[in-house]
Amino acid sequence: MRRRNFIKAAGAAGVSALVAGCSAEPVDDGGDSASNESTEGTETGTTTGTPSGSATLRVATYTSFVDAPSSSPGPWIKEQFESEFDATLEWQTPENEINYFIERAAQGVDIESDAYVGLDTNMLIRVDENVDGELFASVDSGAVEGRDAVKSGLEFDPQERAVPYDTGYISLVYNENQATAPETFDGLLRPEFEGDLLAQDPQSSATGQAFLLHTIKAKGEDGYLDYWSQLQDNGVRVLGKWEDAYAAYSNGEAPMVVSYSTDQVFANAEGEDLSEHQIRFLNGEAYANPEGMARFADAPSPDLANQFLSFMLRPEVQAEIAVRNVAFPAISDAPLPEDFAQYAKEPETPVTFTYEELQGNLSEWTDAWAQQFASN
Amino acid sequence: MSDATAGGDERGEKRTDGGESLSGISRRQQTASGWVEAHALTLVAVVTGVVLLVLFYYPIATVLVEAVVDDGELTFAPLAGVLTSRFYLVEIIGFTAYQAALSTVASVALGLPGAWVLSRFEFRGRETVRSLTILPFVLPSIMVAIGFVATFGANGTLNRLLSLFGLGPVNLLYTLPAIIVAHAFYNAPLVTRMTTAAWESVDARTVETARSLGASPARAFLDVVFPQLVPAILVSATLTFVFTFASFPIVLALGGLQYATIEVFVYYRVQQLAYADAAALAVVETAVSLGLTYAYLRYEAKQQTAAFGAGAQPAPRKRLLPESLRGLSARDVLSRVAVSGYGVVVLLVFVAPIVSMLLSSVTAPDGSLTTRYYEFLLQRQATAAAFQVKPLPAVLNSLLFGVGTLLLALPMGVVMAVLTTRRYRGRKVVDALSMAPLAVSGIVVGLGLLRGLVFGFEAFGYRFTVAGAIAIVAAHAVSAYPFVTRNVAPLLGNLDAKLVESARSLGASRTRALWDIELPLVAAGVVAGAAFAFAISIGEFDATVILATGSNSYTMPVAVERYLGRRLGPATAMGCILLFVTSLSFVVIERFGGRSRGV
Repeated sequence: MRRRNFIKAAGAAGVSALVAGCSAEPVDDGGDSASNESTEGTETGTTTGTPSGSATLRVATYTSFVDAPSSSPGPWIKEQFESEFDATLEWQTPENEINYFIERAAQGVDIESDAYVGLDTNMLIRVDENVDGELFASVDSGAVEGRDAVKSGLEFDPQERAVPYDTGYISLVYNENQATAPETFDGLLRPEFEGDLLAQDPQSSATGQAFLLHTIKAKGEDGYLDYWSQLQDNGVRVLGKWEDAYAAYSNGEAPMVVSYSTDQVFANAEGEDLSEHQIRFLNGEAYANPEGMARFADAPSPDLANQFLSFMLRPEVQAEIAVRNVAFPAISDAPLPEDFAQYAKEPETPVTFTYEELQGNLSEWTDAWAQQFASN
Repeated sequence: MSDATAGGDERGEKRTDGGESLSGISRRQQTASGWVEAHALTLVAVVTGVVLLVLFYYPIATVLVEAVVDDGELTFAPLAGVLTSRFYLVEIIGFTAYQAALSTVASVALGLPGAWVLSRFEFRGRETVRSLTILPFVLPSIMVAIGFVATFGANGTLNRLLSLFGLGPVNLLYTLPAIIVAHAFYNAPLVTRMTTAAWESVDARTVETARSLGASPARAFLDVVFPQLVPAILVSATLTFVFTFASFPIVLALGGLQYATIEVFVYYRVQQLAYADAAALAVVETAVSLGLTYAYLRYEAKQQTAAFGAGAQPAPRKRLLPESLRGLSARDVLSRVAVSGYGVVVLLVFVAPIVSMLLSSVTAPDGSLTTRYYEFLLQRQATAAAFQVKPLPAVLNSLLFGVGTLLLALPMGVVMAVLTTRRYRGRKVVDALSMAPLAVSGIVVGLGLLRGLVFGFEAFGYRFTVAGAIAIVAAHAVSAYPFVTRNVAPLLGNLDAKLVESARSLGASRTRALWDIELPLVAAGVVAGAAFAFAISIGEFDATVILATGSNSYTMPVAVERYLGRRLGPATAMGCILLFVTSLSFVVIERFGGRSRGV
């Protein structure tokens, strides 16, 4: 009632053209019940978790997890989850991904989602540096069945909020008809590979960032800028997003591109010539990018959110996520299809920086790199 | 609103005594409509102000304030940080201005001959070609990148052509020229369209007079025609500079990070949540663009001398393909050769990338022809879940938002043009500020819309938010109306003030004078502005994805982005749907607009 009255008043004030796009919701000051005189029915209608009808679980993620042209795990997960739990799973894909929630928290707007799928170490650091309170809740392993089955090497959150659910490895993909990729980082500096490598902007793409971090792993904090300077002299091309670089690679602009070690899974499915999709792990290593999920501290339905996290860790769900997201499962006993390992390559030595190593350093490393690269 | 109330009162009266109040109704309605008519300009101006405030100035203020306020205290540290950094000033801002200047020169050089051909020659399909010049405007940058790689890449069309002649290969990609040509691809059509409109309103009689006084054709062109084209050239050049100064994804896709522009660093800082730095960079960026716009507007104001009253009578067009070769002068032959040369350039720079996009939507990985990407779209349409993007709703939303944008941006733009062609102190500042939606970083606008509108603000115990379809249309109109203003204002400024004065002295309201006298005379500008407004709406991405509530308000460019994956097929297929729908819309809009122009 009050809301309707307000809209009428706003309309009379002359902004009627905008009203249909506006809304005014009563602000909940934390004092949950009986803060306002009347309105019992209207406000509880929007709250979830009440026994009236089935509950709603709101899960935020990045778009390609639920809507990709090839395959995405989102629709399958929703269907399976809903068939088992008396709940509606609602996918949310805010354009700014995790920054959307950081910004929301910073502006003091309530978080209305239950869980986030698609966290990595850098995002967690950004959350911790920019949100005063808690954005995500630590997961009590007792509350999430299967939590202990996650491979310990994939854990990336010292506060145990993020639960890894899959991982990818960033490597070189090359066309062996044009060039055989070198085996080491130093090899990339050889004149025969001049202009042969396509990489991505570390700020615009996860692969670009992983490759930059891998060079820092390989060359050290003091040596990576020097290495990149030589790489730039040898004609490395740093384009914007992964799509830009991969499109250029597909068009034969260069014989090597920074991409995922699962490239052949797609190539095989598309019936492409695998000789154009060879994988190279430089120095025998690949940078691991585990993806995690977490429950929001203020989740409207915390129990359901825990059940969801647990659901995501079941062996058969892990296998489906791996296949549909084309990544590696986070547990060891996921029943993967037999040809999965044939096309999805794993490095002998995965490398990655820990939360502590990246904290306070990532921005500086990237800024120093970007300044040097853009100045040349 | 008061109109409706008045009507309601009358109806109440009517029940008591019939006959008399009937005339009362019409009288009162007349007065009411008279009141609306008398105040229509003011009303539209107020609506324009509110829309700008809510969808532009308030949102960007929530971001830009971070450049000067830290923890509630005034600070100049972020701005000083940018302005004292050699890296930012020289490597980034200096380079950004340099590439924008080159891009502007290239766009003008590539666009002007187009205006000459379209306004001076008659050929089959001229109207259609003219309509289609808007296409580059609506293309998502990833589509342009795909088209350019396929055209100018190592294995691209250009190199294959050159190898036929035993030449090449040329390596154009990942160089500064690649960026500049891509910028010209986007902006030369702007120059062409705006200059063509000006050329078509050059009165043939003025040229004839000059010729009869003994001027050579070249002299007559330089002294009579060219001065009338200069404002159009300069306004399109200014807009080109402003756009290319804020260029971002296309620079990284076709050049690479060593050609990073200022907008790239605005994006970085926003990603890192380093808002003070982002805001400081954006403030400097906006200041450069607005400063240039202001300089242009001062120039435009000085030019309003060549007043014309009645509609101009353009010189008749020459047939591009003469009926017989007999009687052709050397000049005629030379001009046809020049047109052919220009045609080759157009084929390479504009047609080839677009054809490459079409081809890549029907080419399988092994090079054979395939319809599988269009089948993907059909399958998506049939089976996509509610939270996924479907092709058909995206097409319909784009068209709906486009029409909505037209309905809002046309009155906004025309009224702003009327306001800014009146004489008062500081009006050029108002005029420059009304151009601000073109000059402010799209990334800052996106963040501002998120903060200011999607999250909303608290007052009186309520949280007010603005999102959804109507907010998207309003945001599109904010980006689009400056084009209407810039197309209409110069023409309006050139009108003889006596026309309006005599209409007013005969009792016409200001609105009626505008509607009956001025608008028909500047119809060409209104139609040109409408085309840009529609195109801006179709191509808009940033505000749309921020303001969309759920997947039901996504548009064609959003679908293109969603379908982008390891294979380019699905995205290019959607991109070609975008091309097709847009082409059709423009041919229709301009046919319709062209007819109404004759009235």
